[in-house]
Amino acid sequence: MTDKLRLPAEEIYGAELKALMATDKAHKPKGWAMSPQAAVTYLMGGKAGKTTITPKYVGNRRLIETAVATLATDRALLLLGVPGTAKSWVSEHIAAAVSGDSTRVIQCTAGTDENQVRYSWNYAQLLAKGPSREALVPTPLFRSMEEGKICRLEELTRMGSDVQDTLITVLSEKMLPIPELNDAVYATRGFNVIATANDRDKGVNELSAALKRRFNVVVLPLPEDMDEEIAIVSKRVGEMAAALELPAPKNVGEEVARVLAIFRELRGGETLDGKATLKSPSGSLSTAEAIAVMVGGLSHAAFFNGGELSADGLAAPVLGAIVKDPVQDKAVLEEYLETVLKSRRNYSDYYSALTDLI
Amino acid sequence: MAVRVEYFGIRHHGPGSARRLVEALDALKPTDVLVEGPADLSDQLPLLVDEGMVPPVALLAYSKDAPERASFWPFAVFSPEYQAVAWAVEHSVPVRFIDLPVAWRFPPEEDASEGANADEVVRSPSQGGGLSFSQRIARDPIGVLADAAGYEDGESWWRDVIEENPDTGPIFAAVADAMAALRESEADVPQLEAAREAHMRLEIAKSAKSAQGPVAVVCGAWHVPALKTKHAAAADKALLKNPPKARIVATWAPWTSPRLAFASGYGAGVAAPGWCKHLWQARGKDQGTVWIGKIARALRAEGQMVSTASLIETERLAVGLAAVRGRPQPGFEEFREAVIATLLFGDPLLWRVVERRILLGNAVGAIPDTVTAAPLLEDLQRQQKQARLKPEALEKVLSLDLRSQAGLFRSTLLHRLNALGVRWGQLTDAGRSRGTFRERWVLEWDPEYAVQLVENLIYGTTIQRAASGRLMALMKGADALGQLADLTFSAMTSQLPEAAQRGIDRLADRAGETSDCLELLGALPGLADVMRYGKARRMNAGQIADLFVRIGIQGALSTRYASRNLDEEAARAFRTALQQADSAIRLAEADDLTDTWMSALEAMVTDGKAARLVMGGAARLLYEADGMTPDEAVALLGRMLSPGTAPADAAAFFEGFFEGAGQRLLYDAGLRESVDRWMTSLDGDVFVEYLPVFRRVFSALDKTEKTRLLDALLRGTHRSSTRVLVPEAEAIWPDHFAALTKILAGGASHD
Repeated sequence: MTDKLRLPAEEIYGAELKALMATDKAHKPKGWAMSPQAAVTYLMGGKAGKTTITPKYVGNRRLIETAVATLATDRALLLLGVPGTAKSWVSEHIAAAVSGDSTRVIQCTAGTDENQVRYSWNYAQLLAKGPSREALVPTPLFRSMEEGKICRLEELTRMGSDVQDTLITVLSEKMLPIPELNDAVYATRGFNVIATANDRDKGVNELSAALKRRFNVVVLPLPEDMDEEIAIVSKRVGEMAAALELPAPKNVGEEVARVLAIFRELRGGETLDGKATLKSPSGSLSTAEAIAVMVGGLSHAAFFNGGELSADGLAAPVLGAIVKDPVQDKAVLEEYLETVLKSRRNYSDYYSALTDLI
Repeated sequence: MAVRVEYFGIRHHGPGSARRLVEALDALKPTDVLVEGPADLSDQLPLLVDEGMVPPVALLAYSKDAPERASFWPFAVFSPEYQAVAWAVEHSVPVRFIDLPVAWRFPPEEDASEGANADEVVRSPSQGGGLSFSQRIARDPIGVLADAAGYEDGESWWRDVIEENPDTGPIFAAVADAMAALRESEADVPQLEAAREAHMRLEIAKSAKSAQGPVAVVCGAWHVPALKTKHAAAADKALLKNPPKARIVATWAPWTSPRLAFASGYGAGVAAPGWCKHLWQARGKDQGTVWIGKIARALRAEGQMVSTASLIETERLAVGLAAVRGRPQPGFEEFREAVIATLLFGDPLLWRVVERRILLGNAVGAIPDTVTAAPLLEDLQRQQKQARLKPEALEKVLSLDLRSQAGLFRSTLLHRLNALGVRWGQLTDAGRSRGTFRERWVLEWDPEYAVQLVENLIYGTTIQRAASGRLMALMKGADALGQLADLTFSAMTSQLPEAAQRGIDRLADRAGETSDCLELLGALPGLADVMRYGKARRMNAGQIADLFVRIGIQGALSTRYASRNLDEEAARAFRTALQQADSAIRLAEADDLTDTWMSALEAMVTDGKAARLVMGGAARLLYEADGMTPDEAVALLGRMLSPGTAPADAAAFFEGFFEGAGQRLLYDAGLRESVDRWMTSLDGDVFVEYLPVFRRVFSALDKTEKTRLLDALLRGTHRSSTRVLVPEAEAIWPDHFAALTKILAGGASHD
């Protein structure tokens, strides 16, 4: 086991990628490490010769097919969705499959300026030699264009709208002008952009229509099916607990199901049996939050509760995930506790733990 | 057998099959065309290609004695059966149906609708969803094969696997082989199906014997293996012994494109009739581009900005997707996903807006004028006879006493027709305060109604069923509580308990979802009607009463915040809703609710934050309900109309309190005095500004009432009344007259 907390996808799943490339017989677009079909298999799981490919994304296969096909048509891909729907995860793995390299990332923030997207200058060189290619400091986007790889833009909408629009020329003309040198970088085949963004969060900027039009958009939804979501949460919680060396108590599966039931009811605005309508809190209660709640609960259990995972230990992170707005969400949760959970016998421990905390 | 018999196993409503069938018929040049369909209705076939017949249409057959037993055989322009008939008529080749006569489909027991068959729809609401696998495979074997291959749409599979197969071979032979393989594992052929196939075999043999040239048999692909294998004619005849007897009436009915979809409950339907029609119309042309163009047009009509450049990207992505999936060309799934990704920014909700129109289409068929008599019309004629009501083009007034059997029967019939959108009778005194056992109708028949009845056939074949079906369909689409309450009320007046129950359930669901005060209040009048009606008819009104109280309480609790920060228009709407809800609550005599309601009114009056117009309205309602003593009312009016209040606020409160209740001032000296004091304290300009408000309030008084109000003010016994008639009026009149003339002349000179 390495000391690194986390390795890039192409290293963790290197064996799978190698097996896929070895058995890949379908047509490979120029600059791609494998064929689109193999890339879809890498994401969705399957077989490559004798190697089993683990599923990286659990959900609708069509979405991943659309995403990969988009990259094959040299259009840029925008993955959209509420927080915690595996956007960055999918983006990393697609980049790993298509380019064999997922490390060219620009993390977009409100402080990101054009120099971090296009190129910046090494001022010592600039002063010594004047403007030249040597004095230019390339960005991940710049390098990706030169090398024909995929560049990932994380949280595109957090960047100011004016900076976002720098991408327009890159996306439509596949070139990046360097007016200072009267030069330009022309993208090599295999170059493309995967951006992730969420459209319904605080502190995001609107995408301009011009830029939006240059992306094919795939919206990653929250899992529709309860069993599917339980599978995702159990898998990720298991992986994360293993990475953090937390022991997993026996009842993890059971608690995942109960916490997810609460999450899904509040998120969907009705009870799972469809008999009563509920109000939804302001937070998104995504799958990722459920994972975080479970990992928090496991950590609490391991260090403070003698290894026992209980409703008491989980109640605090559950409360934190549900109540984002201290007034409104609290009322929603109270109503839910009194009208739904109170009458459910198998949830009595959650009811009392949450009622105590609230 | 003397001549060659060719079997064409087709996919019902499959444009691919239709195209191939026409080609095959052109090549074969049969002298006899046999089509799967009820043999006793063959005489209806030539009508199908009549000039006035515009598909989609359906051949409709029903039992004369029990019209609710009916079957439909829909035909679209892309149905292979339709194309076969069209081909035969065009080439003057005899064409006929060879399936079992209709009567076989109406088993003697009511519950035997299990035997419903591939190309037939028995109109029962439960049908459509829960088909077992074996039923599905018999209905649309090609769809099932496509499903197994991961396709959503059987047409794309047919295209990819059969038509686009580079080894162009005898397609229908290949389909027959596939069906033979599918049917090998079939354990037991259901009785009705065995009889159908036996009947078809006998008919085919009959044609083969007499025909001069090749015989073409056009039937569902599923049946081909069974028709091809040799069976002893005697055994087949044995299966057809004792045919059921029923007097069958057949006619044509206009059909709609969405009704061809599987989702509408039509067993042999297709996933997307719109797509099928497109494939048929655009055959041989650039199908993908035309389809994207269609979607783009629909999206633009919805106000979505769709650029031509994006359309190019859509097509590229669709082609790319098809390649990733290993399909020779994009089908409607690929186009859908490409459209969502490139044109709709990944938002599937926007797609759903146009999906219906695109995939289901909105085509409505038409039938020639010569075709008449549909079961609803017949049912109506029968009921008209029973009710002794004649359709007359001239207006006629009908007064009904609902306590008598005859009166109730007539009323129910008229209500049901109204529920179907056939306004033969108009209820004139729908006044909510009157007794509930008397109705006054104005009857006027319009020939147009016959057409409407035929259109309503899709909901059911008797007036009762169709009315119930239509109301339930409307309820499904309705979201506003008020609308739902009205629909439920019409279900009750139409004596349709199933629809009424559905309405009540929907109301309960929606009441849990909504928190909009106006919507909640708006539901109360309708619900009160439902309740009172239920009581008068000894129906189970308990559930509605509970619902009424629940919605009433929700509404009452939400008034406090909802009444704040309203602009003038919103305040006016709110006041009206408040008034109607109030009278509904009084009418319903819901004691559990009255206290909450009164305190809600009081809260609006006392906390001073409600819009003034609403506050005035609430104060009036409270005053009328004795929630406020006259002294309190005078004090409140005085305070609200006092000089400290901004004139606009005062006027709004005044209007809220008195609009529609000017008479109050006649009898209530205290109120009158407060108002008088406020009005006389107004400055001239301000007074002129509020004239419209005063006019609205006082115009409701008639002439004598106005005189009495004036009298009361002038001759008031009240001590503080300061104005009296001037005793020597005659002496000062000339001066006044001169001043008036001057004003009037001055005003005139400005023109």
